[in-house]
Amino acid sequence: MRGALLAAAGVLLAASAVLAQDPDLARRQAEAAAAIAGRAEEETVLAEGEGRSEVFAYCTVCHNTALIRRSAFTRDRWDELMDWMAEKHGMNPLEGEFRQAIVDYLATHYGPRQRGPRGGNPFLD
Amino acid sequence: MTQQGGPERSVHELYRDDPERADALAWGRRGVLKGAALAAMGTALGGTIPFARQMPAGLLPAALAQGQGGPQFLEMEGKARLILQGERPLNAETPEHLLDDDVTPADKFFIRNNGSVPEAVADPRTWKITIDGEVNTPIELTLGDLERRFELVTRRLQMECGGNGRSGFSPQAAGNQWGNGAISCAEWTGVRLRDVLRAAGAKDSAKFTGHHGADSHLSAQGPAISRGMRIEKAMDEDTIIAIRMNGAPIPQMHGAPTRLMVPGWPGSLSQKWFTRIELRASPHSGRGMGGTSYRVPVRPIVPGSRNNGADFADLESMPVRCVLTSHAHGARLPTGTRALDLRGQAWAGDLTVSAVHVSVDFGATWQAMTVNPPPNRHAWQRWTGRVALPSDGYFEVWYRATDSNGRMQPHVAANWNPQGYGANPISRAAILVG
Repeated sequence: MRGALLAAAGVLLAASAVLAQDPDLARRQAEAAAAIAGRAEEETVLAEGEGRSEVFAYCTVCHNTALIRRSAFTRDRWDELMDWMAEKHGMNPLEGEFRQAIVDYLATHYGPRQRGPRGGNPFLD
Repeated sequence: MTQQGGPERSVHELYRDDPERADALAWGRRGVLKGAALAAMGTALGGTIPFARQMPAGLLPAALAQGQGGPQFLEMEGKARLILQGERPLNAETPEHLLDDDVTPADKFFIRNNGSVPEAVADPRTWKITIDGEVNTPIELTLGDLERRFELVTRRLQMECGGNGRSGFSPQAAGNQWGNGAISCAEWTGVRLRDVLRAAGAKDSAKFTGHHGADSHLSAQGPAISRGMRIEKAMDEDTIIAIRMNGAPIPQMHGAPTRLMVPGWPGSLSQKWFTRIELRASPHSGRGMGGTSYRVPVRPIVPGSRNNGADFADLESMPVRCVLTSHAHGARLPTGTRALDLRGQAWAGDLTVSAVHVSVDFGATWQAMTVNPPPNRHAWQRWTGRVALPSDGYFEVWYRATDSNGRMQPHVAANWNPQGYGANPISRAAILVG
């Protein structure tokens, strides 16, 4: 009985040693996150069109293009987001022709689309 | 854009060679971009890739290809194959069928970041948190102090992104297009926040909290996010300062070495890399508070319309929702399959789930499933049940939970708001028999 208890305690100790965080894993995860966040993107990941260079250069200062590519907004909503980013996220306010070029590009290439929340049907190509 | 430096030089090259100068040339500004933002600009344009050389093989996302179409997936040591919502900030959703565990393991825990992931700390025991504001005695505690001075509690707590379900909104709302997978129910160990607040001598004037963490905004200017809540939620017995997840130190991606756990309310309140909580007489004003952030209309607005959110109210207890974990969306089953043994999880913010119903005929008829009680308050609940199928062919499993107040998931996402909070429509998983 006592031997069994000791053995059990040994197993528990071993288990807790396994559970103790591998400090190296924490470091590797932080570095992996930074690596993913810092992964180079090419401008061509965005739809071709007038204003693409400006959009790519200006927007990717703070976030990568996934945020653009997943979006499907009307011109008015895109325009509203420019103010929101300036007010809430410290973006340099966009004004005048430059703002128009950016919003035009986004509205033209990332406008509303008809898709269900899960995209197309999984059984169709 | 006033691009200078000759037409033969692209903006890429300009930034790659000298980002600071390029920034000055391109935008007529100097010193706007600093530190990480400057590096990020260089990085985005192909200049440098931080950590590229130290990066062990296998840490790159699987879907390096920049193709359109299907979802991309995260590949990271210690994490399952999560759906990549975005790289910067890094966000990844757990596919519903990976949420089958009653206690969410670290690898299947969704990733939500507003800013950058801080570097790992060398000695977690020396990590300090501060309690100040409307208290008699502002205090500073190390993690060691926390464990020594306060009672440790262990609870299974569901925690969900405030934007979970956002992809259900039409027209599209801004933000990560989460399905139902920004949800977790891990087993957390920590100390009750209320015990710590009482130790600091919370004053009667303390009506709200403000939370602070170590992650910085992607622009490198200020904190990534800093939200707060009503004091009543801070005093709830299930609101804890967590120091362990599933019996192990909290993983780096999930807020090591300590984070708040505010179960049932938007996950942004569960501050990761937690450093400070202030008690306040007025609502907190940090990044992520006010306007349309984590707020929903009190008087419903026209979907897609412009609104600054001034009349909105903070989203607090999350709405009822369930996931189907036994069958993946798009599962194909053998010819002749005539019954489905279904299972999943259900939860309802501060409430409990009283029922889960399933339909395999597009909502014409519904069948009640069995719902287990939660193992403790604020834990999600297992549901199971069997449904019959009349034939081979294409079916959709529709699944719908009802909370303890009798409110069920609506047929479509309700109460549209610009940033897309609180969407909990009935979910549909497609299956093909034969």
